[in-house]
Amino acid sequence: MNRKKNQLLAFPYIFWMAGFTIIPLLMMLYYGLTNREGAFTLENILAIGSPEHLKALVLSLILAAVSTLICLLLAYPLALILRNRHIGQGSFIVFIFILPMWMNFLLRTMAWQTLLEKNGVINALLSFLHLPPLSIINTPAAIILGMVYNFLPFMVLPIYNVLAKIDDNLINAARDLGADSFQTLTKVLIPLSVPGVISGITMVFVPALTTFVISNLLGGSKILLIGNVIEQEFTKGSNWNLGAGLSIVLMIFILLSMTLIAKYDKNGEGTAF
Amino acid sequence: MSQPLIDLNHISKSYDGELILDDLNLSVKENSFVTLLGPSGCGKTTTLRIIGGFETPDKGQVIFGGEDITLLPPNKRQLNTVFQKYALFPHMSIAENIAFGLKIKGKSKSYIDDKIKYALKLVNLNGFENRSVDSLSGGQQQRIAIARAIVNEPRLLLLDEPLGALDLKLRQDMQYELIRLKNELGITFIYVTHDQEEALTMSDTIVVMNQGYIQQMGTPEQIYNEPENAFVADFIGESNIVGGTMIRDELVEIFGAKFACVDKGFGTNKPVDVVIRPEDIDLVKPEDGTLQGIVTHLIFKGVHYEMEVTTPNGYEWLVHSTDLFPVGQHVGIHVDPFDIQIMNKPESEDEEAVGVNE
Amino acid sequence: MKSLQKKLKNFWENFYLVLVLIFLYAPIAVMMALSFNSSKSRSHWGGFTLQWYSQMFESSAVMDALYNTLLIAFLSALIATVLGTAAAIGINSMKKLPRSICMGVNNIPMLNSDIVTGISLMLMFIAFGVSLGFKTILLAHISFNVPYVMLSVMPKLKQTSRYTYEAALDLGAGPLQAFFKVVFPDILPGVLSGFLMAFTMSLDDFIITHFTRGAGINTLSTLIYSEVRRGIQPTMYALSTVIFVTVLALLLITNFSPSGEKAGAGKKRAALGDSEPSGNGGKAAGTPSPLWPKIQKGLLVCVSFAVVAGISYTSLLKFNASHSDELYVYNWGEYIDEDVIRQFEEETGIHVVYDLFETNEEMYPVIEAGAVQYDVVCPSDYMIQRMAENGLLAEINWENVPNISNIGQTYMEWSEAFDPGNFYSVPYCWGTVGILCNVERLEELGVPVPTKWADLWDPRLSGEILMQDSVRDAFMVAQKSLGYSLNSTDPGELSEAKDLLLLQKPLVQAYVVDQVRDKMLSGEAAVGVIYSGELLYLQEEAESLNLDFTLQYVLPEEGTNLWIDSWVIPWNARNKENAEKWINFLCRPDIAKKNFEYITYATPNEAAFRLLDPEYQQNTDVFPDTSTLTTSEVYRYLGTEADDLYNALWKEVKSQ
Repeated sequence: MNRKKNQLLAFPYIFWMAGFTIIPLLMMLYYGLTNREGAFTLENILAIGSPEHLKALVLSLILAAVSTLICLLLAYPLALILRNRHIGQGSFIVFIFILPMWMNFLLRTMAWQTLLEKNGVINALLSFLHLPPLSIINTPAAIILGMVYNFLPFMVLPIYNVLAKIDDNLINAARDLGADSFQTLTKVLIPLSVPGVISGITMVFVPALTTFVISNLLGGSKILLIGNVIEQEFTKGSNWNLGAGLSIVLMIFILLSMTLIAKYDKNGEGTAF
Repeated sequence: MSQPLIDLNHISKSYDGELILDDLNLSVKENSFVTLLGPSGCGKTTTLRIIGGFETPDKGQVIFGGEDITLLPPNKRQLNTVFQKYALFPHMSIAENIAFGLKIKGKSKSYIDDKIKYALKLVNLNGFENRSVDSLSGGQQQRIAIARAIVNEPRLLLLDEPLGALDLKLRQDMQYELIRLKNELGITFIYVTHDQEEALTMSDTIVVMNQGYIQQMGTPEQIYNEPENAFVADFIGESNIVGGTMIRDELVEIFGAKFACVDKGFGTNKPVDVVIRPEDIDLVKPEDGTLQGIVTHLIFKGVHYEMEVTTPNGYEWLVHSTDLFPVGQHVGIHVDPFDIQIMNKPESEDEEAVGVNE
Repeated sequence: MKSLQKKLKNFWENFYLVLVLIFLYAPIAVMMALSFNSSKSRSHWGGFTLQWYSQMFESSAVMDALYNTLLIAFLSALIATVLGTAAAIGINSMKKLPRSICMGVNNIPMLNSDIVTGISLMLMFIAFGVSLGFKTILLAHISFNVPYVMLSVMPKLKQTSRYTYEAALDLGAGPLQAFFKVVFPDILPGVLSGFLMAFTMSLDDFIITHFTRGAGINTLSTLIYSEVRRGIQPTMYALSTVIFVTVLALLLITNFSPSGEKAGAGKKRAALGDSEPSGNGGKAAGTPSPLWPKIQKGLLVCVSFAVVAGISYTSLLKFNASHSDELYVYNWGEYIDEDVIRQFEEETGIHVVYDLFETNEEMYPVIEAGAVQYDVVCPSDYMIQRMAENGLLAEINWENVPNISNIGQTYMEWSEAFDPGNFYSVPYCWGTVGILCNVERLEELGVPVPTKWADLWDPRLSGEILMQDSVRDAFMVAQKSLGYSLNSTDPGELSEAKDLLLLQKPLVQAYVVDQVRDKMLSGEAAVGVIYSGELLYLQEEAESLNLDFTLQYVLPEEGTNLWIDSWVIPWNARNKENAEKWINFLCRPDIAKKNFEYITYATPNEAAFRLLDPEYQQNTDVFPDTSTLTTSEVYRYLGTEADDLYNALWKEVKSQ
């Protein structure tokens, strides 16, 4: 095709990106690096070092890491099963994973409250079965559950996508050369699905790290995550500069995951959709 | 040499209610080069996958070296496969690819290194150990796939259209390579292809398959010269297949003319199919021929001329000859008795010869 | 033997799939069940009803939000698809370096957390004076949607052979024709899946919308979030159920239509923007079914048609309804009887644009930035003071509000605490903050019914206390129990209060905004700090549910927070006289009565009070004797410095 002319097609979006991605980020930098009076300061960035913020950040990192891990452990076998059924009805099953996203995210999370509460649905079931009650509402466990629930599709889809592209004959070849199912998995399937795993991890870890809704609804607001701190600075505390400063710190983690992606996912194969 | 290495007994297989293999029996002798030949969808690849262990037959047994391996998973079978599109592991180097099977078996490092060197030498790719898969050409990848299979010292090597993706010149080179390899290694090859020329060049035994049945099994010469039915005759090489009547032993009537032949035992006045290869037709003066016709088409093919001779009933005979007969010339058709191949008419619809759809 | 193994493996796989599906769909099943629950409570089954379904269609707030959500999802997905597809083609033909740069920037919105994206966009919109509203949400959604489109188009584009395009040119097609006839059909599955993905992401977004939305506009997400404060309306569950069933039906139709499997396979690939699974034994490879794109196309056309028809219909309605005389109202969610608005419009001919906020703190920057020019707002006491001090309020012309005489003198006096001289505000609702107790649960625990705030530090109440999740309300409890003023700015007193709250934290079950009511009704906790406005609703609900426990409201001895929400007029109001008409209208006894019966928060309107049912008049929980409230105080605005101090201390409490 005519390359020069085609390149022109990208220009509207390049302008768009400049206007709606770059400039907002610069605004964020500006706010983060100034105080209320508009004077330059690093205070807002360094505020991450205060015990409350540090604690919130560390807790967020831990919860995000745990839920990412759980998502991975749940999603990988799932993606494998879906891959092995890629002819026919498998497609329907994959779509089933996107379908819940058409329900409002807040309502879905609220529904977990109803399920998990002391007198909730799950405990009613458990007591009916004469089993001890489950009391995880308002604990970190409930937050992890909420994260896993909301972000699981973002792990399943990229992994499935990469796995589905692997030629059946590669698996046959491994089996043919003497590998049993487990060795085929560890030596062929897993190494080949690394790009999908990496992008799945990023797509779960980033929103899990920064959520404030899930921790509010399922953590009973007793657990302060970095997302809550930032949200409160903007909506309750009205210290936007501090909020922006902390957001910049969060962005550093995002940059880290971007480098990870660039390193393992050279061809952009592992993108989710 | 005469020991049967693998036996397929009464194998049937269907997918989604569609019968792919129907009561297939096949016996392959130790140290032979067997080719499964047929159009796509004939069941040859399924047969190979059943031997490899990637499919389980619905009915029947696979006997390997006297043992029933029908339900044995592929990793427990003493045979290896060279896959159609090579199936090299893209995340591994060439050496790692070749070492894969050996590492699984827990061989020592020095043993593995020796084997890699040996295998690369065997396929003429010395020094390729650390190259990556995508840096190789198709032919090179093909050789690596073979090297990866043979380092495991299988008793049987299965090759699934291994040359299908290569261009003509490379394919011809690889054909000789494969024959050389087989002779050097002394292992049994089962080779799947839809290319009849490849099959004729390389094999000891050719198994012609169509629609889940074995149509004919034999040496390349037998398959070519004495096709047992119209499908085989049509699929292998070019031929004139015409309807005729067996008057009695050693005499057949074609289009009202009587030809002497060497076949016996078809009964008297029995309708049969007659196969005559185009190079076996001699064009002579009209008065010397058994049938008379006019040359209606002429192409120079290099080694020979290809002509069409139309007889009064309208049939166009395909003729290969080194002598030139210009278009419009009246000629006579003569065929030596041993060049006429008589076949029974197909009895059931299943056996009906179908067009070759490549 | 093998077949048995295979069956077993299959069984485990199916078992696992089913477990995951239960996990994914359990909350949705709960939502659907709640949509048929005649009780508004999330945790009680009050019997089967379809009333929420009919209410859903009648509620203009819900229908507007649905309309906005769909419109934004559709428009943003459409624009993002066009923009993204063009960009993908352009970027694909760039040289390596600029291409990587573009793709890097393109990835930012996808990798960046929603909160950062939302906030940065909001900062930019405000900095450039773009008023927040429909268009800012749309712009934001397009921005985060394009990357998804790009990422599903890119791989398709890479697969497309250059030669087919050249072949088309060779056969006499112009470049445009060649593109649309040859290249476009090739990448169409990617484009469609990009559209679908963008639509889904837009539909599901809350955080970015939350930060970029403004006047007169709610999507379902933000509407639901604003309802979180007073409990989700079951109409939301009904709506979600309808959406879910519709989507599921569409899905089933496309998957199990005559073209069956292939349509499904195509859809999957489309949904994932995937190339065809290669080399599965030659089966199903290659030839795409000609039917599925047709079905997809048909579906797309139908949906687009429906959306476009919907848009034109509603905009027609809106256009017809648009008046030169307008009033922009900014109020709390669920804080007015919608009939009252209708009645006002009918009587005055003024068109009301009604908008919601969830917290005072959220409302403040909106008014301060002036991005939206509201005519009349209903903040709380201390926020009114802050707005007045910062010059954000206009004095009310009392001549235009004769009905002010209906407001009790006591309340006007209380208002002087934050509005000295009564220049700016007209009280709308008022109330106290107290302790709601589950009497039977307390008996079980062997704890007497609390009489004062200090009783909330009883170690036997471990895990049984619900506190309010807001700085001032939480500190108020500690400050009052220490005998300090709730408007204290003394660092020593505050730090003492903080220590006390830290001491209490292990006993607290949760810090909640809205859900005290629901949680107390379902017996989740023994005591909860609650606004008196919730009581009437609570008492009625408790009665209809036949609870096996009694809920009792206690006004603590140490005194409490007296809160007043009042109407004010921002300095930049464009329709000040209409705003005064509005305030005057709300002060009319019959209107105030109607409003009270809907929102059940105590009314300061004495004339309306006299019209109330005696049962209400005698309810001392809702209408306590004002003379007994001498130790109680109204919040005052304490200044930025004190605010920061409060916030910092609160953060310390929360992060422990």
